Amino acid sequence: SDTWSRPLLKLGLYEDINVNSKKRGFDHGYLEDEFSAASFKNYEKGLVGWPPVETWRRKKLRCQVHNHMTAAENGYCGGRASNSTYVKVKMEGVVIARKIDISIHQSFETLTTTLMTMFDIFSHFPFIFGSVDENRRSFKLTYQDKEGDWLIAEDVPWR
Amino acid sequence: MQKEMAYSFPDEVLKHVFTFIQSDEDRNAVSLVCKSWYEIERWCRRKVFIGNCYAVSPRMVIRRFPEVRSIELKGKPHFADFNLVPDGWGGYVLQWIAEMAGAYPWLGEIRLKRMVVTDESLELIAKSFKNFKVLVLFSCEGFSTDGLAAIAASCKNLRELDLRESEVDDLSGHWLAHFPETCTSLVSLNISCLGSDEVSFSALERLVDRCPNLRSLQLNRGVTLDKIANILRRAPQLVDFGTGNYAAELQPDVFSNLAGAFSSCKELKSLSGFWDVVPAYLPALYSICPRLTSLNLSYATIQSPDLIKLVSHCPRLQRLLVLDYVEDSGLEELASSCKDLQELRVFPSDPFGAEPNVSLTEQGLVAVSLGCPKLQSVLYFCRRMSNAALVTIAQNCPNLTCFRLCIIEPKTADYLTLEPLDAGFGAIVEHCKDLRRLSLSGLLTDHVFEYIGTYGKKLEMLSVAFAGDSDLGLHHVLSGCESLRKLEIRDCPFGDKALLANAAKLETMRSLWMSSCAVSFGACKLLGQKMPKLNVEVIDETEPPDSRPESYPVDKLYIYRSVAGPRFDMPPFVWSMDEAVKILH
Repeated sequence: SDTWSRPLLKLGLYEDINVNSKKRGFDHGYLEDEFSAASFKNYEKGLVGWPPVETWRRKKLRCQVHNHMTAAENGYCGGRASNSTYVKVKMEGVVIARKIDISIHQSFETLTTTLMTMFDIFSHFPFIFGSVDENRRSFKLTYQDKEGDWLIAEDVPWR
Repeated sequence: MQKEMAYSFPDEVLKHVFTFIQSDEDRNAVSLVCKSWYEIERWCRRKVFIGNCYAVSPRMVIRRFPEVRSIELKGKPHFADFNLVPDGWGGYVLQWIAEMAGAYPWLGEIRLKRMVVTDESLELIAKSFKNFKVLVLFSCEGFSTDGLAAIAASCKNLRELDLRESEVDDLSGHWLAHFPETCTSLVSLNISCLGSDEVSFSALERLVDRCPNLRSLQLNRGVTLDKIANILRRAPQLVDFGTGNYAAELQPDVFSNLAGAFSSCKELKSLSGFWDVVPAYLPALYSICPRLTSLNLSYATIQSPDLIKLVSHCPRLQRLLVLDYVEDSGLEELASSCKDLQELRVFPSDPFGAEPNVSLTEQGLVAVSLGCPKLQSVLYFCRRMSNAALVTIAQNCPNLTCFRLCIIEPKTADYLTLEPLDAGFGAIVEHCKDLRRLSLSGLLTDHVFEYIGTYGKKLEMLSVAFAGDSDLGLHHVLSGCESLRKLEIRDCPFGDKALLANAAKLETMRSLWMSSCAVSFGACKLLGQKMPKLNVEVIDETEPPDSRPESYPVDKLYIYRSVAGPRFDMPPFVWSMDEAVKILH
């Protein structure tokens, strides 16, 4: 579906859900600042080809890591396939974002589990005990739709 | 008496002697001795390297060397890698293939770099050369998996298929299945540039299974971690391996399977790939780390502690490519663990961010220069530098042959003294007497070019950006660097004077690129007139250069020596300054 095209998934521990609006979502104001504050100095100057990182290398890297990305910039990656299934994922409190191919997952469970492993949850949250499975329910996947609203991923059927 | 004996040496003997002379330079020297040596040599030259596909025509090459078995061609200028050369500029290989198809039926090896290769070209290769063995498409574009299918299907004795860094149009993932069951000759296969969907894994497994001589295999991102073990168990003789995706949920059985598969590869010396790395799977490599000489982690988004752990297991490492997540601390560990290190490349994880996202400074490079006495080749992206650090590096590593430093913000001064970095780079060229390649960055005046012209006698390639004050800078380089072959310059205040004063120098070089400099259209025309053996090409995508006054600077300028005259495949935005060329567009 259209809302799935290159969304920004965000993984976060939370307690409350704001149910006042029609869409369930929650306030990510402070995180949005982090993203929108990113200024591409060189990019704004209109400098083509600087710094001199090869185009193909930039593409491959962009598919995996976004440290400071504006909400508007959509990642492009993989081959020339236009129906890219890669999405960028960021976890609160972790500097490095990751990119993951959601097409290799069949459910939210496997996606969440992989993300938890990828972000090395247990070293970031030492107060978590038990297995990945047991703790998966403590985490909620959220995604940002085209309008920039943060929504809960499980509200949308997997495919 | 003795003179007669020398002249009665039979041709066959000379020809046999010449077969031991492999290097192009030596072959060229041999051909200049006398007419008969020229004749004998040209009939037995089997390998031709053409650094600029427009410097000579296919017909000329075929006429001089009728029995070539291996050809290497390079197309676009280096700055094409950074989007400075517009699409459609040129570098088409089709005409070469077409002419060689008729002239060289026994051609076995084609190596191309930065060229436009179409499916038609690939199909022509597949059809025309019965003994085709090696196809290397390095940073090429213009073809699809259909072309690859033709190569796979027709080339019965294919040894090498290497598509590194090329752009391939994904039309079907099944091209790999076109390798016939009888094809068992593969030694090297690099498909790392392909996306997720472009390879059928079962076809790949079967191919690997039946090629016992496979030494080098680079998978594409679509191959997931759990599949690596399957491949490695089928090819334990691999020397060079590129993983695909290196991410999966941590499962003990997958981990032990992977670790076991790696440890069974007793010859493995070189690793690359590592997309989407999950750090927990890195220890699966520990058994082979002691043997590793080359490690390419430049896509691995892992942090310094994990990198340090990995690198500390690799004492024999000679070559490391890594992201700046390695940080100064990681490089300090590298300096203490890897005493055999010869080549280091540190790439920026966030090249366009305004602020540093990692703690990587000049200190990391200084540490490596101190700890790794065999260091020869450096590519380093960072955000600050000092003259003191550069002087230290120069003194620690007098054997450097390649030094490429990119300080991300243009015109950044020495962060300690706020001076230009002239003295630092000056120390590099002065101490590193064998320096062949140099890339400059930071705040630089004409002085740095004076040092380069004075000391850079072995310098073959120089890359300059946002540097210099006047034409004097360019003049120092063109008049002083005796071995200069390639010069590429962007955003520098270099104009007409130095260029015109050193016009003859340009005929001794392969090429000169200048963009966003101060060379006028009038000077380009004059150069084109004065120097018939140079192709002077002006690139301008906005409007024709002659629609503006002659004193107006050109946007981009590419000058290269050629015996083929101006080329015929120029797109509308490229103008030749050759007098003989009528403007057709």
